[in-house]
Amino acid sequence: MVVILSTDTNGSNRTLETYVIRTASCVAILFFVSLSTALADPGTVEDKLLSENQAKGINTAPAAPVDDLGFARRICLDLVGRIPTGKEIKTFLAWPAQDRRQRLIEQYMTDEGFADRFSAFFADMLRIRSNQEGGNALLAYVHKAISSDMPYDEMCRKLIATNGKAGRNPEVGFVLGDDADPMALASSTAQVFMGIRISCAQCHDHPFDKWTREDFYSVAAFFGKTRRRENNLTRTVYTTEDTISSVMWPPEDESDAADRKPMKASFPFPYLDETQKLSFIERFEALRAEQQAALQRSEGPSVDDLLASAGAKTKSRLKGGARDLLKVSTEAKSAIRKIDINADLYKRSQLRRELADKITSPRNRYFSRLLVNRLWKDLVGVGFVEPVDDFRENNPASHPETMDYLAEEFVASGFSIRWLVKEIVSTPAYQRAHAPRDEDAAERETLEQAFLVTKIRRMKAEAMYDSIVTAGHLFEVKHLAGQNPRLIKQRIRVPAETPGNEPVSDSASDEAEADTAEYSAMMAEPSMMASTADYGLEKAIEIDFDAVLEADDTSPMIDSMQKMSREDIEAMRMAASPRPKPGVKYVTKMVERTIDDNPKFSSSYRMATPAPAGHFLRLFGQPARVDLGDERVENASMRQALLMLNGQLTNQAARVGPLEPVYQMLNGSNRNLENAVKHSYVEILTREPSAGEIAEAVEMIESGADTMTGFADFRWILLNSNEFRFLP
Amino acid sequence: MSGCKDYKMTRRQLMANSAAGATLLGMPINQLIAGSGQDHAAKCENVILFWNGGGMSHLDTWDPKPGRPTQGEFDPISTSADGVQISEIFPTVAKQMHHAALVRSIAGTQGAHGRAAYNLQTSFLPGPVQHPGIGSVVAHEKEKMGDLPSFISINGQARTASYLGQRCEAYFIANPGDPDPYLKFPAGVTMEQGNKRLERLEKFNNRFNRDTTDPRLSSTSTSIDDAVRLMRSPALKAFELDKIPAKEIERYGDTAFGRGALLSKRLVEQGVRFVQINRGGFDTHGDNFTRMREHGEVMDPALGSLLQDLSESGMLEKTMVIMMSEFGRTPRINENAGRDHWPKCFSCFMAGGGINGGTVIGSSDEDGGMPKDNPVNVPDIHATICQALGIDPYKEVLTRQGRPMKLVDDGSTIDGLLV
Repeated sequence: MVVILSTDTNGSNRTLETYVIRTASCVAILFFVSLSTALADPGTVEDKLLSENQAKGINTAPAAPVDDLGFARRICLDLVGRIPTGKEIKTFLAWPAQDRRQRLIEQYMTDEGFADRFSAFFADMLRIRSNQEGGNALLAYVHKAISSDMPYDEMCRKLIATNGKAGRNPEVGFVLGDDADPMALASSTAQVFMGIRISCAQCHDHPFDKWTREDFYSVAAFFGKTRRRENNLTRTVYTTEDTISSVMWPPEDESDAADRKPMKASFPFPYLDETQKLSFIERFEALRAEQQAALQRSEGPSVDDLLASAGAKTKSRLKGGARDLLKVSTEAKSAIRKIDINADLYKRSQLRRELADKITSPRNRYFSRLLVNRLWKDLVGVGFVEPVDDFRENNPASHPETMDYLAEEFVASGFSIRWLVKEIVSTPAYQRAHAPRDEDAAERETLEQAFLVTKIRRMKAEAMYDSIVTAGHLFEVKHLAGQNPRLIKQRIRVPAETPGNEPVSDSASDEAEADTAEYSAMMAEPSMMASTADYGLEKAIEIDFDAVLEADDTSPMIDSMQKMSREDIEAMRMAASPRPKPGVKYVTKMVERTIDDNPKFSSSYRMATPAPAGHFLRLFGQPARVDLGDERVENASMRQALLMLNGQLTNQAARVGPLEPVYQMLNGSNRNLENAVKHSYVEILTREPSAGEIAEAVEMIESGADTMTGFADFRWILLNSNEFRFLP
Repeated sequence: MSGCKDYKMTRRQLMANSAAGATLLGMPINQLIAGSGQDHAAKCENVILFWNGGGMSHLDTWDPKPGRPTQGEFDPISTSADGVQISEIFPTVAKQMHHAALVRSIAGTQGAHGRAAYNLQTSFLPGPVQHPGIGSVVAHEKEKMGDLPSFISINGQARTASYLGQRCEAYFIANPGDPDPYLKFPAGVTMEQGNKRLERLEKFNNRFNRDTTDPRLSSTSTSIDDAVRLMRSPALKAFELDKIPAKEIERYGDTAFGRGALLSKRLVEQGVRFVQINRGGFDTHGDNFTRMREHGEVMDPALGSLLQDLSESGMLEKTMVIMMSEFGRTPRINENAGRDHWPKCFSCFMAGGGINGGTVIGSSDEDGGMPKDNPVNVPDIHATICQALGIDPYKEVLTRQGRPMKLVDDGSTIDGLLV
């Protein structure tokens, strides 16, 4: 949230009014400029990569680029998190060959799916959990920050420094994710934003890095005055600032209580010298100055901007020796702060603001390198540094100059996430083909690590889910209402010989009819329970991002976002289980009901996140986002296979409905199986089938019980295939 | 030998970690991982864990205090184990107590449901790292047997496998006896059609993979093979409870809990390593005695019949049956005839799988408020379970951060509990 100050139009002085507005709307206007920022030359990245390879004695020539259709599928999955539609491919192929790739990049960069897909990226990185206080609001905030191209440094500063109420001040979700605990936040802040793993140093000097226990405590001290508070009445949670630090030095196990003093906050990590003139920083500063000027012209400065500029002025004047101006500046700052309506309720954290400034500074190389490395790994498949958040001296980057070049240009772009993504996907390294299938395993790994071929990547869980929905036309219903009645048999338990009793569903069973308000509220939370019953592993609890951000203070939805760990929820569920009713005898009966078998699915990017354990998304690698360093895994598993072979998603996607285009090619006077097959190859696999493949598919379709059944078999196979799930 | 195929690290991680290990506490990591050797013959092969959520009163179940103000409404009854008395709410279980041991001196430290449940299920205290539940540890360490998943959780999720990997997560069954739609072709797809689909899919994938040397591509086929083997396995019959004679179901008490117990028996017979049956409602702050009597009526026939059946079939020798809860309840009976949370001293029930039947480990003081002798720490329970299964509880595995972590948090085997 930003507070905008305005003076009245005729310029006379009067009491400043405060308006609270959404961050995104003003940022969107302001930083749209950076969208058009030109690419640094992707050729430079290529030159640096190859010369770094040569220095290591790797002289192999890079693989050719992936073909156009392979590129289209890859870029669509990477930028908007789903496969391209048949229509998009048709348009793409109509563009002139020489610039169609760049045009497609441009198109997906401005697609609204871009923010969805990269919200999932940042949700992993920031460990966003819907069931934590303010978790959904934080997710919605990050989504909005990405769609409005908020600079990365600004977003991170807000996450690190903001105090406030869960939900209403969405950025505070980040510190609440670690319960505002200074020790946990020291670990997570250093690792998440800088790739420095200092958590070991909480208990002892780091065993394989240079960080000492004292370093750890000095970082924790930045969070020492922050307090997590909970309103007993409303159960709302907020953070504010105390006057005393809770972080004491020496640690409890090293010293008597009497000897322990509040730890002084300091930033132990290396930092580019302030006096050093560096071109990328000068370009960054010039860009920011320009943006600042544009902001003042359009809407007037925010409190943040005023504070920042007050600080900057002080610094520049101090250089001239005018020390007393410091006092003036301090007074100005406090005056500004007084009119911030939130300042009294949720006190600003000066310490965390300092930390945020240090972390997000263009002079902190860790900060820019970390995101470059994470995004490079995400898009190209192999990181310069792995694990992606483990930067230390004895874990050096594979291509340090390439990484630093990207990091410096990222800073110079004004920390534009969009710029960085666009730069990476424009490089030849990103656009290359895979190694030949039968390449020797060790050689393939070498080539992948050297970025001479691209590593085969499986679609991420969300992309896989949304791609099946896209390919199967399941975002909308594809059958006519009421045309597909299906009989469902259900076992229920009814009390025996007690007429008038309502039957209870067996899953609620003889021991379950809890209905306390607390229990229902808990279950209405993004549930931690995923049940196999009724295809529950593929269902979703949808979140409306706009509603989450726009909900006002008293919104019950936000207020019910109490901290609930998985164990708390499960334990409460257990504790709240209702009493058994022995003595009442039940009998099992089968009942039948008819449903309209015409489902539609919503995007996995708008689900409560992470999904419950056992859910489709989790089985395909969505992390729990509790532990640090919890990277996505691409392992195959039996349970993935069960979901893909027998689940609702693939089978409904394969099933033909009269409201989807291919239906016309299978029925009536325009029936043409070859066209239908070609159409589906493009829709599902983003390519034309070979003559052999067409013949094979037609044979398959015709051998089915009827055309529709045979066609569903054919599509089911494409959807279940490796070719579908692995990116070209 | 790891039972979880997917627990492996990338070469880079391994190198980073072993390099790190060289200096870690001055001890090479492989030595740390090697841990201590086994000095006993493991008898136990499977575990059935009844998780009684909410904090079950120890005083009204396994540790009665006749004649004391804390006794409450239940009288103790004698059991088939010499000199061992339990609450009258367990008449059927009483006949099986010669198979069972009671630990009456668990000295817990956590009084909130979430933290205590975490502690009892993982042996660890909650902290920055998510620890796996004991079921996942067993699934990780013991070779998979048969076609069914190694770890199955009934009615409620088990704890996450966390850094032990996805293969060690529990397969979750909402309601015993309900068909699992993911284990068969969907409605409308005939067996013949489904099999044909699988055949063609294999052909399609082989053409795409060609002669791939990339394990990521070939692993899809492995996962499909595993899935199809399960779908076609005769072992799946274990899940079908509707063909069981009503009389047998009746013997377990025709409740969800009873059917869960019956299912657990059938699952361990098929080689499932760890079955966890969850049931709640033990948070008896009010009306403790009515509710515990009702709980008894549900639990007693199920647990008693399970023990009887397992012992008759010989399965009890290699199957450990455990009933535990996150804490006990106050000796003081409150104004609502309830009991409140009491972690300082409580009990757990263990039988079979090498458990020394008919014994009682430790005791509580006269009101059941504090351990009187032989206090048992929570991780000792997990260490003992591991010991019985031939798992080294001190074996270290690496968390995602590369931190070595013991399978069990520093527990030691409880003396006299195992044969």
